[in-house]
Parts: sequence; structure tokens; C-alpha cells
Amino acid sequence: MTTNFDLKSVKTMGLAAMQGRGFYYPFDLALDSKERIYVLGRGHDYDTRGVRITVMDMNEEYYGTFASYGQDDGQFMWPSSIVISDSDKIYVSDEYSHKISIMTLEGEFISSFGQLGNKDGEFDGPNGLIFDNKNQLYVVDHRNGRIQVFDESGNFIRKFSSQGNNEGQLNLPWGITYTSDDRLYVSDWGNHRIQEFSTDGEFIRSFGSKGEEERNILHPSSCAVDDLGNIYVCDWGNHKLKVFDKEGNFLCSNRGEGSLSKWAQDFLDTNVQEKEARLKADLVFELESFKDDPFTESSHIEKLFWCPTSISFHNDNLLIVDSSRHRIQVFNTVQKL
Amino acid sequence: MLDTNQKSLVVIQLSGGNDAMNTIVPYTNGIYHDSRSAIHLTESEVIDINGSLGFHPEMGEIKKLWDSNNVAVINGIGYPVPNRSHFRSMDIWHTAESESIAPDGWLGRTIREIDPSHNNVVTAVNFGRGLPRALVCKDVPVASVGDLETYGLMPDIKGKDQRENALNYFSRMYGPNQGRDAILDALSENGVSAMIGADILSGANSKYSSSVEYADNPISNNLKDIAKVIFADIGTKIYYAQHGSFDTHAGELFNHAKLWKELSDAVGDFYRDLKEHGRENDVTVLLFSEFGRRIEDNGSGTDHGSGGVAFVLGGSVEGGFYGEQPSLEISEQVEGDMKYNNDFRSTYATLLDQWLGIDSVPILGKNFEQFSFIKKG
Amino acid sequence: MSDKNILLMAHLMRRAGFGASKDDLIEISKRSYEAQVDLILDSEPKYEVSKHLMHRYQPDYGSPMGNSSNGASWLYKMIWSDSPFKEKISLFWHGIFATGYAKLANGIVLHDQIKMFSKLGLGNYRNLLIELSKDPAMIIWLDNCESRKGAINENYGRELLELFSMGTGNYTEKDIKEAARAFTGWTIANKEYMTEKSQRDSVWPYGRLAMHFEYKEEDHDNDEKIFLGEKGNFNGEDIIDIICKQKATSRFIARHMYSFFVEDEPPVPEWPYKEPNNPEAIDALSEVYFNSGYNIKEMLRFLFKSDFFKTEKVWNKRVKSPIELVAGTLRLTKEFYRPEKFQSATNSQTSFMGQHAMNPPSVEGWHWGTEWLDSGTVVERVNFSSSKLGNINNSGIRKIIDNVRAKTNEIYSPEILIDLLLEELGEIIVSQNTKETLIDFAESRLKDKELLTDENLSELLKLVGAMPEYQRA
Repeated sequence: MTTNFDLKSVKTMGLAAMQGRGFYYPFDLALDSKERIYVLGRGHDYDTRGVRITVMDMNEEYYGTFASYGQDDGQFMWPSSIVISDSDKIYVSDEYSHKISIMTLEGEFISSFGQLGNKDGEFDGPNGLIFDNKNQLYVVDHRNGRIQVFDESGNFIRKFSSQGNNEGQLNLPWGITYTSDDRLYVSDWGNHRIQEFSTDGEFIRSFGSKGEEERNILHPSSCAVDDLGNIYVCDWGNHKLKVFDKEGNFLCSNRGEGSLSKWAQDFLDTNVQEKEARLKADLVFELESFKDDPFTESSHIEKLFWCPTSISFHNDNLLIVDSSRHRIQVFNTVQKL
Repeated sequence: MLDTNQKSLVVIQLSGGNDAMNTIVPYTNGIYHDSRSAIHLTESEVIDINGSLGFHPEMGEIKKLWDSNNVAVINGIGYPVPNRSHFRSMDIWHTAESESIAPDGWLGRTIREIDPSHNNVVTAVNFGRGLPRALVCKDVPVASVGDLETYGLMPDIKGKDQRENALNYFSRMYGPNQGRDAILDALSENGVSAMIGADILSGANSKYSSSVEYADNPISNNLKDIAKVIFADIGTKIYYAQHGSFDTHAGELFNHAKLWKELSDAVGDFYRDLKEHGRENDVTVLLFSEFGRRIEDNGSGTDHGSGGVAFVLGGSVEGGFYGEQPSLEISEQVEGDMKYNNDFRSTYATLLDQWLGIDSVPILGKNFEQFSFIKKG
Repeated sequence: MSDKNILLMAHLMRRAGFGASKDDLIEISKRSYEAQVDLILDSEPKYEVSKHLMHRYQPDYGSPMGNSSNGASWLYKMIWSDSPFKEKISLFWHGIFATGYAKLANGIVLHDQIKMFSKLGLGNYRNLLIELSKDPAMIIWLDNCESRKGAINENYGRELLELFSMGTGNYTEKDIKEAARAFTGWTIANKEYMTEKSQRDSVWPYGRLAMHFEYKEEDHDNDEKIFLGEKGNFNGEDIIDIICKQKATSRFIARHMYSFFVEDEPPVPEWPYKEPNNPEAIDALSEVYFNSGYNIKEMLRFLFKSDFFKTEKVWNKRVKSPIELVAGTLRLTKEFYRPEKFQSATNSQTSFMGQHAMNPPSVEGWHWGTEWLDSGTVVERVNFSSSKLGNINNSGIRKIIDNVRAKTNEIYSPEILIDLLLEELGEIIVSQNTKETLIDFAESRLKDKELLTDENLSELLKLVGAMPEYQRA
């Protein structure tokens, strides 16, 4: 069966930056009702300035940053996921402080909920976040191997799933997404599969098998689903974007096509010696060590995905957060005739 | 044997590469404003010095010291073949060696000159964990104090009696009656040295009394601790502290302002404290950074450059401008950066010879032309 | 009093690893000493926690932008390995082929160098030297990327002979020049861009990039060379062949091994003037070097099985390097059963103690033995050890306390308590003075079995952590 489906790289956005305009290990992003993008920076443990939210838009306009590292209101330690409600409130999960923080679009702290534990409303490493069409918030409680559901204010409603690798169980899950046909897709990172649930938590199906071949996935971090039911998976462990049709058949994959963003171009234009040296360099090549080791390959070849952590649709654009390269890669899908 | 000369040097390292051009601002220069559309400081914002240069808006306290003629501004400071890597450039400033890699630091060598028999284990005190290379020199003891109040051995043993008890047992284990090998000797000597040092320093902490209220941030806490040790007169000649990060590649306006406010206010409080205790002429402060930053901004901040600025402050300092303000003309730029016009070792030499009374040539390797920013007599 | 076998095993585990608790030693002692040596040398280690889990929580640990994650993730490997001998070997070579972050300004390339030591460090010495000569971190560090025909940079040629193989006094200045000529053209791909980024400490636009070796024929000096008395159109590999044949090489490496694994030798600059602690041992190791075809593993197998290693005279003789101190302590406390935020702070400790992983002060590496100890570092070392051992919330310490309580159920005295505690912590042998001091403390606070509370035991452990013997291995 030939596939008439393909992915096309549109552009790259972002820049590595310890503070200010750019990101340091971005893990996730969300858009508000005005199409502004809020990029959640995970930062790194030794220098915590990277923990912040950077605001920009699809034209790479920069609107500033807010939030910082810490355990006070409005601060994060290990920020993991971000989502924005219909009423334009930001929700951020912190898998170290075990809480979900709620803020305004300007970064003003509103409230937070959650603490370490395994009772209802408690978390052990809250990760993925998503709202359904009834404004219920689904939180991936990854070390408790379950999904918990809350209202917009953080009141517990229900929960489902449990730790394990049977059908419907989860093992260190990461991302979660919600589709227009009222379904949830959870990236079951530790079980190397994507699982589909109803909003009541009823297991519907699971697909994905562990491995490094094209049709396998390895530690998926996130996925997105289009109107045709095609599933786009951040194959984090293989450092690829993979697309499967709604039956779970492999359609295509992409290893990443990072290019110079506006901010990257600004940097090079200001740093002429580096720009000139870069122009003389050959940034794409092959080495023996790349065989079976995409991690190493990505460390050498700048344009490739390196630990993609989040994927989502916004209008026709696929936005992939390419965390270890501190950028967002934008793709379009192409249906060939 | 305590040095009867009570002079001491406080070295504050501004880590990350302080943006000299937004510190001493050439605010009447069109090139400045044109190159830095995103982060330039305007005439109304800066604190004017002489009609063409101004201090960063947050340097009010330092401006006061400038007005009493106690601030030397050394513009265009650097070294040949500028290196723009944090680690390497900082090493160069620490070791005073720009061409090869040296294992010890200029202050370590200085302490060795001051106290060759290591009679006083607190001749130099570093405020911060981990000894900066500047203070490293074989056999030279330097205490690295995170917080003077809690500094010492086994600090998580709390309670006066319990600590005394624990330290007694400690000194028995490290005491002189060991069955000897070189390693046990070294452990004993250093363990005992550390105990003595901690003891002396805790005395400094408890004796302190002052009406000055410092802010609560790391550099203010460090300077307050330094003041405590100065007033305790335990023979310390060199103090070291760090502030940062000045590595303002992005978000410069906000971050740079915050850093200078903290530093300037802390220095102001420190000098008020010294004055209150009659010690303002005994202490000279050096502020330095490993490099300056590029003339052009990158849209949000500035990247690593060269040709920075250093400050020497104190009651015994002859205020004024030393070194030249580097030209911003394209023809004078070095790969987009300011060109240095005085070697940082000239500043070191001045401080060594004229302030501490130590011959600078063996420490720095050769003779460097000196400035006249230390008052005579 | 434990039997000699267990004490010997404890010594082996301290030297071939980062120490072992009594529980570990009981398991290990089921094998013969020789079998244990063979197992350590021949088996591939398994890691308790996968690197995927590490990357998931601490993304920088896999793709180090700066330097701190390098040391921190290396510590994880030291803690999570069931047999950290590979990590110890990497540490051994890192100390000799010392390459520093200060000049590279790139964590990835140093991380890759350590990986190479782990992979090749037990193999053939010739191969190791060749890979080292092609290592991008080393090439930048010693400026070989600037060396080409007509403009030779001698740095690598010099240090290769002086510090990495033969040692001063065994070759001439001419040999250095000839060696440097042979290595012209041994550079890195995209050299201009990579060195520009290093000098500017540039993480832009998208983080650091790994580097790789490139041989540039047009830069290579293709003429005849005379090196150590041999003549030929030598390239780098040929120089290394000649170097490996030299007695001086075998003795230099043997002496390093002896210093790192048996007892501290004087600092390297003194080697031309000071005889080795045990000249026969060096002779013997040198012989194994040649008989085994320059095989590092076989040299070490011989070393660990020799009397000069097994003798009580060298037990606990070395000063632990800061990394050994921290890694060994963390293996005891078992506090990192999964990636944790505070590993970064833990890694900083080694640098406060004077050893910043992958950032040695110069190509000479760190000076060992008594030079690890000054009044500043002793405070850091004592405080760290004391605080870690005294924290009974960590599962490793908790188990040790449980064992002690169980074993003192029948008979108890402060002296027995101290003996047991020192055994549980890995059969640590202490001086009469230290033991008396600890017993006195136990007499004052833990006179009876009922006083074996968590609090009292914690105080005792803090003192034990502070003892001078804990700083040695």
C-alpha cells in the first residue's frame, strides 16, 4: 500500500537562551485565544534561569517572559506541561513540587492545587495536561500510573487507569491529548505505546510496539491526532516524528529538519565571525557512531530532532517542541494525490 | 604574627562578563545608541558623571562614593588576544597569565608572600564555596566561607554544647598523637588548621555590632560578613566574593539593572559600615569582570566581547578615570568589540605594590606599568 | 573481628570500585578472590537506572550544554553500576589524559571523551593512544587543530611524550618536533566553526554540537622523520607504534597504575628524580605490558592478583580523590535510587573539594595524595562525609543501622558497637587513637542497648564520617 501522505517542514522557531528571548530545554507549549504561544522552559538543574515561560507568536514576535525557579506561588522546579483553558488561564504541571499552578496570561499567580501522594487529588509527578470540551482538566499522574480529572478550579472529579503494562494500564506515561471525537490519547512512555481512552476512562485501544524500526516507537513523549484520525507521535527515544493512520499502520516518519529561525538569524547577524565560520562548515555528514544510536547522531547533526517532547496541532501547523535543541519545529501535512 | 599594617583588599568578581558600555555609559555618543537600539540607556536615565559619560541608573551609591573622590574607574581594561570564553578568560584574570595555563592564582601567590610560614590561617578568606583559582597556591591555606554564621566543621551538629563536644572528639582524632604517615600528617595539620580558622572566624561573627542594615541578598550578606571579619582584626589581608551572573545575552536591561542595584547598594552599605567603625581608609575594593560585551546588541542583550571596565574603590583611593574610554568607531573596533588599552595586570601591580606593599614583579611575572589611583602617604 | 578474606575483598572493592558495604561484601566473598578479580575485569556492568529515565527528568545530563551535568551524570553511573570498575578506569584515564572544559566550552565533546575511555580503557594501549590522538576534545585542548605542515604546533607532540606515554627524560626536543610533524593534519571537521564556538563559549543557535575527527591530507607533513632513532615517513599511528615499543612507556603507565590502584606515588614531575615506591612491582607490570601485547586489562589483572596489591601494608593508604569520596559515599547511602534534582548540587561538592570533573586545572591533571588536602578542602570533605553518613533517612544508612541493631541483640557494648559499625560501612580499618575516641563517644551517649536510638546513632555516624580514615581508601 503506497502512502499518499507526507510531512513538510515549514520553519523553525526559537533560540537557546538562558534568559529572555529564547528557551532552555523547552518541554511544552500552549496557545491562547489570540494565538500567542507560551513556551514552557524546563531549564537545567545547575543553572535555573531556564525555568520560565517565554511568550511569542507564529511570526516569531517576542512578548517577554515570566515565572521563575522556586517553590513559591508562581514558581516551578521541574515544570513539565502547559495548557491554556478556554477562559485564557494558564495551567502548568510541576513534577517535582507535585502541583498544578494556575496563572493569568500575564503570569500573575491565581492558585495551585496538589501535593505529593497517591490519594485523590494528590500526585506523584504530574505531567501531561489537557482540557476536554466540557472544561475538565486531565492530568497525567505518571508515577501513580493514572489519569486524574479536575474542574477548572482544581476540584477532583474522577480518575482512571493504574500502574502496569496490561491493556488500559500505564507505566510512567507522559503526554495526553484530546480529540474532536471526545477521545483521549495518552503517551504511555514506559510501555512504548499510545493508548486511547474515552473521557470516562474506558480503554478503547492501544497501539505501538517497542523498537527502533520505522514502525516501532521507543518511549513516546506526546502525540497529536488530526481530523482523519491519523496519529502523530513524538518518538522521543528514537528522536523522530512518526505518523500512523487510524488503524495504527505506519505512514511516514521524519528525523527533523531544523533550520535557522528569525532569532537565530539575528544572533548570527550580530556575531559575524561566527556566522562566517558557520557558512564554511559542513553541518551534515555521516559517522560510524550514528548506526543504531540516534541520540549520538542528533548530538552531531544540528537539524535533527533531539528529544522531541511535545507535539500539537494549531490550525494547519504541527508544532513540535525539540527540547534538546531549544526550538520549535513547524511542519505541515501534505496529502499527495 | 599579626601584620600591624591593617590594610586589606576586597576583590569582588563580577562573573559572566559585565557589560562595560552599559555600566559607564557613553550616552552622548550616537554610535552607542545606534548599535544598541534594544538596550541602550538614555541621557535622562543615566547618572551623569562628566557630561559625556554616565553611570548605570542603579549605581547611585557608587556615584556617592565617586563624589567623595573615592572611586577609580578603569576603562578599556583587558589583555592582548582577548578570549571570550567564561572559563578561560576568568582563568586568565585569576592566574594573571594570558599566554599559558598557570596552576596557581595571583592572590594565592600574594598570600604566600605575605605569610610564607602560614602563621595565620585566615590571611585570606573567600566568601563562597569552592576556592577560585585566584586564591590557589600550593600550601597556602584559605578558608572558603559560605555563611560566616554557620561556617565550621560538621555544621549540622547544632547546639553550643553538642558542637563543642563534637569538636572535642574531632580534635582528638586529628590531634598530634597519630602513628605517622605523610597523609595522616596532612590530614591532621589541615584538620587542625581548619578548626582554628573556624574558631577565629566564629569569634569575628559574634563580636560584630553595627547600625547599618544590609539588604538580604548574597552579595550584601558576603560584604557584611567581610565587614565582620575586618572589624575583628584577625589579620586577614585579602577577601574574595562573587556576584552575578552578568552573562546578559538576553533580557539585559532588567537583569543588568538588578545586578547593579544589588551590588551598588551593598558596596554603599559596606562603606557606611566601614566609616562607622573608622576603617574606611584601610580597605580597598576591586570590582572586575572577565570581559566586557559586544558593542552591538543582539535584539535582547549582548554577547561576549572584550575591553571591559574595572573599579577600585575606597577611602585611600584617588578617584577619577584611569585608562581610556575605548572608541566605538568601526576602525577602532576589534571584531565588533571594544579594544582594550590597559592590561589588567597594571591594576593588579598597582594594588600589590602601592596598596599592599608587596613586590608585584615576582607575582605577576614581570613589570607592569602602574596607575596612580592609590593615595600617597 | 572480620576474617582476612573479607578484609581483602573490602580493599579490592575500594580500589577496583568505590567501596562496598558489609552486605555487599558478604555476597562477594562467596567467590574466591581470584574469581572476583576476574569477574570485575571481564564483565560488562549493568546500570540500575536507564539513561532514558535520566534524560527524561534531567535533559541536560544527556546532552550537556555546560559542564556541571557531565560530572553529575558520571556520578549517577558510578552509583547505579553494579560494578563501577569501568567508571574507575575512565576516571583513571581522565586524570592522565586530562582535558578541561575551560578551553573547550563544550560539554558534549568531553562527555564523548569519557565514553571513549570507558569503551577502550581496558583494551590495547596502542589503540587507546590512537583514539586519543583523534579525540576532538584533545585536539582542541592541545591545539593540534592549529598544527599543519610549515606551521607545526608542538603542544600535542610534547604532552603525548611527556604526560601520556613515556615521561620526561626519555626523548629529546627533536623527538617532540618530529612527533608533532607526524600528527599534522590530525584535526577536527569544521575546525573553524568549532574553535570559534569554543573561544566564544557559544551555545547558539541551538545548543552545543558534538565534534568529530578529520584527517586533512593537505595539512600533513609527508616527509621523512627521525623519531627515537627510527627513520621513516611516519604518520601519527607510526609514532604511537614506536612509543608503545619503549620500555619507558611501559614503566610510565605501570607507575600510574601503581599510584592510582596501589599507593600514592610522588607527583609526576618528580618521577625522573624519585624512585617508585616499589620498583619490583613496576618491573613486573612492565613485563606484563609487553607479554600481553600492551593490554591494560591484563596488566590490571596481574596487579590485583599480586602480593604487592594484596598486602595489608597498602590497605587504606591512598587519599580518596573527591570524586571517589563522593561516589563511594553515595553508594553507601543509596539516596539516588532514581534521578533526583539535588544531584547537581552533589556534583558541585566534588569541585568544592578541588576536583571539578572534566575541568582539571591543566593538562597535568590533578595532583593526588596529600595535595588533595588543604584547610579549605578538608572542611568540605569532612562536612560532606559527616553529613551524609549521619543522615539516617537514606535507605543505605538505615539498612546499616538495622543490621547493627540486629547484630547487637544478644551482646552489646560500646566497643562492639563501634566494631560493627566500621564493618557495616565496608570494613574500615582505623587507628587505635580513632577507635578509642569513637568508643569514648559511644560510652558517653550509647552506653546501653536501649540508647541505640536513631538520634544517638546519627550523632555517632556524623563523627564516624568526620574521621580521618574515612578520607582514605
